[in-house]
Amino acid sequence: MNTGMQQELDVVLCHCGSGLRRVRCCDADITAWPGAEAVDALDAQGQEAVRLFNEKKYAEAETLALKLLDLAPNLRPALRVLYEIRKAQKRGTAEEALAVRLAALPGAPAVRTAANLLLAQFYVGQGRYAQARPPAAEAVMAAPRDATAQHVLGVVLTETGALQAGEGHYRRALDALGRDDGVVLANLAWNLKLQGRLDEAAAIYDNALALRPDNRRGQGGYAQVEFARGNREKALRLLDDGLGRWPDDRTLRLLRAMADLALGDAAAVLARLSDAPEALMAAELCTRGQALARLGQPVEAVQHYSTAKRLQRERHGQQYQAEEFAAKAAACKAYFTAERLQPLPRAAAAPARQPVFLLGFARSGSSLLEQLLGQVPGFVAGDEFFPVAELNELVPALAGAAHGYPQALDHSLVGDGWALPARLRERYEDARERLGLARPGVQFVTDRSASNHWQLGLIKLLFPDAPVVHVLRHPLDVMLSNFGQDRRLEGNCGVSMSALARHYALVMSLIRHFRGQLALRYLPVRYEDLVNDTAASLRRVVEFAGADPGGVPPEAVLRANGAMPPGPVPAHFAGREAVHTRGVYRYRAYQSQMPGLFAEVRGILDPWIAELGYAEAGP
Amino acid sequence: MSGAQPGKQVVPLAEALARLSALEQANKLAEADDLANRMLAAMPEHPHILHLAGIIAYRNGRVAQAVERMEKSATLAPGVALYPRNMCEVYRGAGRLDDALRAGRRAVELAPQDARAYFNLALIHYERLELDEAVRVADQAIVLEPDFAEAHFEKAEALLLGGRMKEGWESYEWRFKLKQAEGMLPKTDKPQWDGRPLAPGKLLIVGDQGFGDCIQFGRLIPWAALLCPQPVLACSGELTAILRQISGIGKIVTRWEDTGDFEAYIPLSGLPRLAGITTQNVPPAGYLAPDPALVESWGARLDRLVPKGKRRVALVWAGRPTHKNDRKRTMRLEQFAPLFARDDLAILTVQKGEQIAQVGGYYGRAPLLNLGPEIVDFADTMAILQYVERLVTIDTSVAHIAGAIGVPTALVLPHAPDWRWLLGREDTPWYPSVRLFRQERAYDWRGVIERVSESI
Repeated sequence: MNTGMQQELDVVLCHCGSGLRRVRCCDADITAWPGAEAVDALDAQGQEAVRLFNEKKYAEAETLALKLLDLAPNLRPALRVLYEIRKAQKRGTAEEALAVRLAALPGAPAVRTAANLLLAQFYVGQGRYAQARPPAAEAVMAAPRDATAQHVLGVVLTETGALQAGEGHYRRALDALGRDDGVVLANLAWNLKLQGRLDEAAAIYDNALALRPDNRRGQGGYAQVEFARGNREKALRLLDDGLGRWPDDRTLRLLRAMADLALGDAAAVLARLSDAPEALMAAELCTRGQALARLGQPVEAVQHYSTAKRLQRERHGQQYQAEEFAAKAAACKAYFTAERLQPLPRAAAAPARQPVFLLGFARSGSSLLEQLLGQVPGFVAGDEFFPVAELNELVPALAGAAHGYPQALDHSLVGDGWALPARLRERYEDARERLGLARPGVQFVTDRSASNHWQLGLIKLLFPDAPVVHVLRHPLDVMLSNFGQDRRLEGNCGVSMSALARHYALVMSLIRHFRGQLALRYLPVRYEDLVNDTAASLRRVVEFAGADPGGVPPEAVLRANGAMPPGPVPAHFAGREAVHTRGVYRYRAYQSQMPGLFAEVRGILDPWIAELGYAEAGP
Repeated sequence: MSGAQPGKQVVPLAEALARLSALEQANKLAEADDLANRMLAAMPEHPHILHLAGIIAYRNGRVAQAVERMEKSATLAPGVALYPRNMCEVYRGAGRLDDALRAGRRAVELAPQDARAYFNLALIHYERLELDEAVRVADQAIVLEPDFAEAHFEKAEALLLGGRMKEGWESYEWRFKLKQAEGMLPKTDKPQWDGRPLAPGKLLIVGDQGFGDCIQFGRLIPWAALLCPQPVLACSGELTAILRQISGIGKIVTRWEDTGDFEAYIPLSGLPRLAGITTQNVPPAGYLAPDPALVESWGARLDRLVPKGKRRVALVWAGRPTHKNDRKRTMRLEQFAPLFARDDLAILTVQKGEQIAQVGGYYGRAPLLNLGPEIVDFADTMAILQYVERLVTIDTSVAHIAGAIGVPTALVLPHAPDWRWLLGREDTPWYPSVRLFRQERAYDWRGVIERVSESI
């Protein structure tokens, strides 16, 4: 309706920093964008903006692009020019908004591939791998023979834990190239390393570094593979060689310091990471702190850890995702109740190999248990090679359900849905078999996935009789050990002691819920028992799993913890060491020197200390 | 009202006390608590406010606060009989039986014509296992109020617990006049069966009480069927699969409208009186048996789930929370620690209901399998019990199931148990496979589970 009044133009600029008006940028109504013919009419001017950009007349190019995008926010050449300018200016929010818009525009396959790759690589550069997955997948679908698209998707899948799928895309990238490529090969080798296929990884790294000797990351990755294979001298040679060529490379220096620490040379760590603490990165601070702790300086160690955590929070913006995980836990508890699960069908037939699910908050000792079980005939360490959590997103599709997981499990009650658990189990077993875990003679395969505590309901449906072994450790030792690590933990809970305690309570209460609602074949094992009386504790676990405890090696052999599995090697085997007891109730020494160290987490952890039976261990 | 602050409502004290009492009676306990606290803040030394506030604290589970408030009210008004009368019950809840006895006696002294004061005192004598005194004091209540059903029932329980079965059964008949018995019997003008023969299908037997009672007294159905062939049994749906096994029953119904044209009815719990049951002539157990198909399937499941080489012990630690004596009998899972410390045992919990959540907090050495979520009904429980060396249980229906099928059972009992377990003996004439482990002190489980563990 014409009111006779002049409407004011909305000239507010977009919050993303693109320089466009908000109604032409993030707040635009995309249904009101000009159609293809109108956009084509502006194409010549769009190409002019590109020309100006290519001639490095950036100010003119920017001005023209802004004008054109005010007319047609979907004019690809202008959008691309503005994107490149904002990227060069390091205006990340604008760069992301423009990249998302470019990737969403229609166009020829090659153009769409390029746009999606831009976006995927933007996310990869920020470590936001999960967000990178859709555009990387779009790029591959638009141009399946594009080696870069295949390579980027390989990176994304590898970093999000879909290792086998990632390997496939790396290999397709090499096929598309029609030749070996040093970078792709090095990334493939890293993927194989993560799959525990160390021998293959080493061979490929050899080739990759011959093609690209300047690949520092590859040099570091190769060293890690050799270290994990037990070729420690070779690993040190690779790192020292790398540091000789790139003396300022802090990643290589850190890897070398970590190797020093693993070899028991704490003093060397201090010498190597001798910068002023304020100049060190979080991972360096933690490694140096661990060295200080080894040298009997807990106060200085904790100072280093605290600084590292502060850096994680303040410099890298890491925050504990408390609300998100509290909501996830509440939803999980609401669905997985005895009443709801009781009528759901389960996979009936006995599995070819019995999975043994290991639970345990980070740094509780589940790695050690898996290493020890790996020494028992009939057992193989399956680590995190294919977590049950990978099946979650398959459930709605396989069940034909409109709901997401876990509600989609209800569809297993309908029609041929009864076969759903068996089908899911087949996926799990196939994936693990492809990794080479199903060797002759293997009867038990451990699954040490960090997400297992969320999956106990699904595990019960897929493997109704599977043993679930929960490694417990004094909660304050768990806190202390995690506090000294620069590891990415679930929900970013490692960013502070209080976040660790809150997440610990959340995970433990989730496990408690499942145990109360399910007939789980559950065994708690204490880390303290495992390291004090290793053979007896292991026999208990082996017997519980249904195997012959007579196969457990003697105490001395177990404590040496030197055996290397013939098949895929879990990453934690690289850091294995002889069984020791110095971590048992370590918190006491720290607490006596720093009485307030655990003050902020006592309220959360004291009930767990009591419930787990550690109250008798003393304050 | 002059003098009142703006916006502040002034209510006369009598009205406020009446409202407080009404809220408590109506089970609006949070509201009552709030009002009591406000009234106490205004008048902290008023004995009746203190007394009512004590009752409300007690009903909200704050026993110590209840005692403190009520003791104060009794000190402020030592001549009010109501105060020691109610304190008697609160002391009982606090496990302070000496104080309860003192208060009960004081109440009787202050109000010798108050039947309820005698009744409360009788309850304390029962708890103290002073059974003759319990009967005598209950009789005094009955003299004052001949239709006082609770007093008759209390007397029955004391007589039966003391083994005086014949007298006990007579008083036990008063149970249907209890407030909580409403709806247990059919609304009918037909008479209660007197033990005389009837034509086939003309006797209605009513599964009137808890599951345990029905299983316990179900053994007398064949005796009734000798006199009245093919009786109709009315019971809850959960029991039909089990009671169907008992010989002589014509049909089983779960709705009053399906009972057919009966000529007389009898509650299951009335059969012992008619049959003249004493401790010497209880019909033998073994009248139930698990379903062979279920036994086979549970056997295979348990072989997969339970670690090999362990001695299997089944466990039930909690009863139905609405049971009148649940506080006395129900335990916490952690109280069975002496069993959990044993490496040679595997614990199979056959607990049902919300209490199974306690399994989540179990971290003992003995592997524990929470079977509750997989158990559909008693038929499953019976099948599972075929595979255990022992059932350890509190006084709940599973104990009866196990006893009826002859499973070795350790039954842990409160100091003053339900009448059926009698006194001073480790065995029971009802179930030869059941061994009794009694509290040595009232409300104190210490030592009981240790003795159970030593017996396994």
